[in-house]
Amino acid sequence: MMRILVGSEKGAYLLDESSPGWRVEGPLFPGWKVTAFGRAPDGTHLAGVGSNWFGVGVHHSDNLVDWKPADSPPAWPEGSGRKMEQIWTFHGSGDRLYAGVAQAGLFTSADGGMTWDPVDGLNEHPTRDGWFPGAGGLCTHRILEGNESMWVGISAVGVFRSDDDGSTWIPKNDGIPSVDTPEDGERPEIGYCVHGLAHDPANPERIWRQDHQGMFRSTDAGDNWERIEEGLPAGFGFVIWRHADSGRLFTIPLESSENRVPVDGNLRVYASDDEGDSWSVAGAGWPDAPQFTAVLRRAFDGTADGAFCFGTSGGDLWLTRDLGETWERLGPSFPRIATIRLIA
Amino acid sequence: MSVTVKLPRVLTQAVTTGPRHQAEGETLGEVLESLFADEPGLRNHLLDETGAIRPHVLVFVDAAQADLDTPVGPGSQVQVLQAVSGG
Repeated sequence: MMRILVGSEKGAYLLDESSPGWRVEGPLFPGWKVTAFGRAPDGTHLAGVGSNWFGVGVHHSDNLVDWKPADSPPAWPEGSGRKMEQIWTFHGSGDRLYAGVAQAGLFTSADGGMTWDPVDGLNEHPTRDGWFPGAGGLCTHRILEGNESMWVGISAVGVFRSDDDGSTWIPKNDGIPSVDTPEDGERPEIGYCVHGLAHDPANPERIWRQDHQGMFRSTDAGDNWERIEEGLPAGFGFVIWRHADSGRLFTIPLESSENRVPVDGNLRVYASDDEGDSWSVAGAGWPDAPQFTAVLRRAFDGTADGAFCFGTSGGDLWLTRDLGETWERLGPSFPRIATIRLIA
Repeated sequence: MSVTVKLPRVLTQAVTTGPRHQAEGETLGEVLESLFADEPGLRNHLLDETGAIRPHVLVFVDAAQADLDTPVGPGSQVQVLQAVSGG
């Protein structure tokens, strides 16, 4: 039985395959944007919600239908001058939980997400005064960990790595063109617009990066990055996902920063089975009719058994159950999709 | 003194009970603090990072727009309005 949580611009929806077809429960959180899903260390489900008027919230659920608010969502301290605009991601790490937020920052919780503390080593980084937002805002949207290191992706600042449990963070963007510096200009320490990160859990020094400036790979924990775009119709996009067992990579190219739709309307997942050295269209089932829609940076999820689902800014859901060999467009459609969670 | 606080429907998802609450206090600020003691998840939705009422939220005490220093009386009605800006 597969269930899919869809977080959208207008509430969340729970798709349940237990009955013939897909049964849709929702909207959950009517009137709220639903921007992140996660799990607390005890398995409780988490949802990050937000409103242009009422700020952000974190909700908890045991059954994905009944949700209760947390006592206190991540919040910037009074006097910080920063606004808590959105919860972008949750990440579980042992008995701790992390949340990446906009305006860009990292928070941690020791009580399953009921209360949160800022990770000052990143939030008050010496480069902070030079952090500026891109089109997607100034957001911490991806958290990876392994080999006692942690990486975060911040748009439009770059990737940072901590090797000391979050106390200090080092920018890791060598090899990435910055967003606004000429090629012959001096490389800035920050100003790199990472859109997505994935790594090999068995060898976390191998990291793949969908960046504003293209697709990249690091084999040394982010110390250096190399471009890997052979076979892609465009380097731009937001999605990078890696299947842990097979190593297969997925991405969804978009034409360019200026034109954020699939090239010629050909909405396709591209796969790589050689660590990103080359890419080709994954499987069959894609529509003949053009699809001028985008897939946002958190609007996908995959599972260990080879299911992968993504949602579009036009509100459609696409699913593969066989690691990209066949694709189906699910019947229901939704508001602009911000985030996806697959629950097998 | 006890006053009634009524929340807009969208905010009922941020509380553990319904839209009507009883709270204590002699000013709107005290009433809200009393409400937050029962419903801590509400604080962040009504107050911003400076501790002020959020810019696009209006709160009325007995049908008059109020700030945190506005006095409330016995049996006052506090009404939090739905968003007052946007298209």
